[in-house]
Formats: sequence, C-alpha cells, structure tokens
Amino acid sequence: MNLAIETEKLTKAYGRKARGIEDVDLAVEEGEVFGFLGPNGAGKTTTVRTLLGFLRPTSGRGEVFGLDIRRESVEIRARVGNLPGEFALEDKMTGEGLLKYFARLRGVGDLGYAHEVSERLGAELHRPMRRLSRGNKQKIGLVQAMFHKPPLLILDEPTGGLDPLVQEEFLDIIEEVKAEGRTVFFSSHNLAEVERVCDRVGIIRGGRLAAVETTETLVDKSFRHVVLTFAEDVDKEPFEALSGIRNLRGDGKRISFTLYDDLDEMVKLAARHKLVNMEYERPSLEEVFLTYYERENGEGR
Amino acid sequence: MSVVLDRGEKGRHRARRAPWGTLFALVSHTVRMQLRGVITWGAALGLYSAALVASFTAIEGSANELNQLMEAYPKGMLEAFGITDLGDPANYMHSQVFGLAPLALAFFPILALANAIAGAEERGTIDVLLGNPLPRWQLVAGNFIAVAVSLLEICAIVGLLTWGAAVLFDVELSLREVAEAVLNLWPICIVFGALALLCSALFHRRSLAISIPAFLLFGMYLIDTIGRASEDLEDWRPISVFYYYGSAIENGIDWAHFGSITLVALALALLAALAFRRRDIYT
Repeated sequence: MNLAIETEKLTKAYGRKARGIEDVDLAVEEGEVFGFLGPNGAGKTTTVRTLLGFLRPTSGRGEVFGLDIRRESVEIRARVGNLPGEFALEDKMTGEGLLKYFARLRGVGDLGYAHEVSERLGAELHRPMRRLSRGNKQKIGLVQAMFHKPPLLILDEPTGGLDPLVQEEFLDIIEEVKAEGRTVFFSSHNLAEVERVCDRVGIIRGGRLAAVETTETLVDKSFRHVVLTFAEDVDKEPFEALSGIRNLRGDGKRISFTLYDDLDEMVKLAARHKLVNMEYERPSLEEVFLTYYERENGEGR
Repeated sequence: MSVVLDRGEKGRHRARRAPWGTLFALVSHTVRMQLRGVITWGAALGLYSAALVASFTAIEGSANELNQLMEAYPKGMLEAFGITDLGDPANYMHSQVFGLAPLALAFFPILALANAIAGAEERGTIDVLLGNPLPRWQLVAGNFIAVAVSLLEICAIVGLLTWGAAVLFDVELSLREVAEAVLNLWPICIVFGALALLCSALFHRRSLAISIPAFLLFGMYLIDTIGRASEDLEDWRPISVFYYYGSAIENGIDWAHFGSITLVALALALLAALAFRRRDIYT
C-alpha cells in the first residue's frame, strides 16, 4: 500500500515557552480516512502546518505522496485540499469569488463539483464573508478544500460550527471521497464522527504521538463497562480483588465495574453464583480518548 | 489558460497551473480587490490637486505681490519648500501639491504591502491562500506588482483630475507637465511600499511593517527639507530619497533618478521574497 503521508521523527520546536511536536512518526495510507485526535495545544495543527510547509521542521523528515515537505511544498499543496483550523477569509470576498480565484490558481476550469458540494452543505456563496455566521464560513471553507477533488484532504476540525444535519451531509461526502480511493486526514474533537468515518486513529498528546490504531482495535483493546445481576446477594470483595477491575459499585444482587483486564477470570468468578444478566459494553471512542489524557495527568490507572 | 499536466511517481495525474499562471491570477485578483482603495485615494488626492489648480486662478492676478511678500521670508525656507515663483502654475503646483504628495500617497503602498504578509498572518487568512500551490516568492512578487499597478492607477486619476481642472479653469499646465508630475510620484511611493513589504516579511507584525517605513518616510522628508535650508545638513541630503525626487512638473522627470529609485524598490522586494522564503508562517 502506498503512503499518502509519512513522517519520521518529525519535530517542530517553537522555543522554550511553546510546545510544538516531537518525534512524530506517522504513516497514513492512500485511500484511508485517518482521524487525528488531541485537545487544543496537543500538536495537531502544528503537524498539519508542518506537512504543508507553513512551518519548517526543526528535525526529522516528512513526505506527502513521496514529496519532501521541505523542498516540494508547492507540489504537495497541488495535491492537497486544506481546511485550516481557524478558517478566515478577507471580509469583502464572497464564497463564489473565492472559488473562482482559487480555481484560477489551481487551473481548474469547471466549478460543477464546487457548486454541487455547496448545494449539499447549504453554503451561501453570494454573501460577503463579513455577513456570514461561523457555520456558514466553515461551509465555504469545506467547499474550497474539496472543490478541486484533491487526492488528499487535510481537514482541521471540519465540523466546528456546523449544525447536525450539515454534519451528517459532510460525513456522507467524506464516505464518498473514501469510496473514490482518495485520502482524508481529519482532526476533530467530535469523536462520534471520527468513530463513524475513520479507518484509523492517531492520538497526539503533548506533541508526541501516543497511539495509532484502527478505530476498532483502539476501542477493542480498551476497557469494558460490565454490569452483573445475580439471583441472590453476592460478596463484591472477590471481584474487587481481581486485577484490572476499577470503579466497582455493588448493592447486593447487582455489581457494576470497569474491566481493564482479561475477561476470563471475571467470568469464572461470576459463574460461581447464579447469574441472571450480564451487560458487557464497549466504551465510546471518547471514553478511550479521555483515558489517554487521564494517564497523562496522572489521574488514571 | 495554461495548464501543466504533471505525472507523479504513482502515476497520478494532477492538473496544475504553469508558474506564471498563478502569478497572473494573484496579481489580477489583488488589483481587483484594491480597486475601491484606488478610487478613494485617487479621488481624494486628485480633487485636492484640482482644487489647488482652481485656487491658482484666484492668486494669478496678484502673483507679483505674493512673490514680493515671499521675499520677506527667509530664503532657506522658500528653498525648503521649493518656492521660486508663485506666478508660475508649475511651481505653484509643485510647492502646494507635488512636493508634499508623497507624504500622503506613500501610505497606499505601505498599508497595502504591510497587509500582504504580516497583515494576512494577523488576520489568519494566509493559510487559506497558501493552501493553494502558490510559491511564497509569488505571494511577495504578486503583491508588489499588484500594488505597483494600483499606484499607477491612482497617479493616473490624480493626473486626469489635475489636468481636467487646468483645462476647465484655463490654467497653463500642459498634459505632459501633469503626466510627468504624477508619474514621478510612483517610484518614491513604491520604494516605501517595498520597505513595508520587507518589514512584513521579516517581522510578522503589521504595526512594525507600517511604522518603520512611515518613520523613514517622514525622517527622509525632514532631512531633505531641512538640508535645503541649512548648510550644516546639506551633506546629509543624498541619504534621503526625496533628494532624488526633484520637481518633475517644472523640470521634467530625471530618468536616472527615476530608474535608481525603482531599482532600490525592486531590490527591497527581492529581499522580502528571500526573507519570506524560509521563515515560519504564523497565524
């Protein structure tokens, strides 16, 4: 499989006060939708801006479609549709004016797809930017990133400010982009949408890449919420003594806890009693994500 | 439309504009976006100049008395402001309009070119624009060319309004004299714009990109003006760009000075492109 994005020990230092990114090793395959997660200041935007040549790497290397991010930034940007995290435009420009201008810069003659995406997202192309709400500006930002059908879309918080119906339409478009074999690199705070469309997820923490897994694996390797209901009162202490059990609560016949370890010992212990019901629930991606950050803050396990 | 078909290593075809195509698109867009400013600046300076042409008809009859009155002023002061004969419409327009006009008009290129990089970084609009396959040097060159064109348009408006007023009020100013006077404004203004562009490329901050050229603009004007009045400061005049400005409405354009100032502006724009080429872009 060819790589759309590849970085090796990519580092960007801003100096002593501000944190950048450090030794980021990324490999995003062509045709996949890759979710890039992290809170504000974790290094998501720095990574994206370094890949696009807006920031010069302090050390390490990076390539987009095999093109070097230091030397071939213009060639890279010809292949990328970018939505910056803080999308801003000149106040007096309209969306239509912007699209025509960018079409000239890119040598795109046909704005048919731009108008199709605009219509689907409900973007108002004929009003000046200063008269648009944040959500409507964001729609223009999405259209300008996608209108030239680039092989790689880099979208920083793409659904910020969009209402739920437009978010849904946007996610449908992303699925279509994926079906066409194009690549999407996607940072978001909305983990439900990441879970829905992303094949793999990278979690960045304090400027370092903490984990890269398929969305499924990340959730599967994580903890489970368990609720056991017994026919009679049971002693909860043996459950408490099991390794990997946290947040245990019990009121006689019903015990609930979070299981971080192997299922086997817990099932064998439960089977010593008459079990009426067992709920075994996988966490949301959001919970998995928060766990990474609790670890960083020393609050977790 | 010129398009380059680029075959990537993986056989992917991407249509991308030829380099000059992106530069042309940037320049034509920027010139269009500046049109309102061009009309405002052109109308404001042009109407001021036209009003001074009209006022010449009022003083024309009493020019001898005015010149006698002027003789009472210190000679150095008259030299400082380029006043030799207020009965001559060309000298009158130089002393009242074209001698001072660069102090105002230079702010058009200063403001526009301070905005081009540092202003766009402060507003956060630069990432969207540079998300396109636009080389950084073209952002610098394209803005410089666009502002140079817009400045020429302002000069043309000022010239047309001045000459129109001269025809209307029957003041002896030829089209050639007026054209040379307004064209001579162009290099002295664009050179401060180019300095603003360099500061914009170096410092990330729009306020510095405006204040440094503005300080030098007034500083150089004072050095040249005081240098004309004071023998002690006369040797300093050559460091001021106003020393090479002259009075084109009276003596025609000094093309050697015109070309030299333009070359300095081009050199500053080139330095701006080099400074911006390798640095981080902040938003």
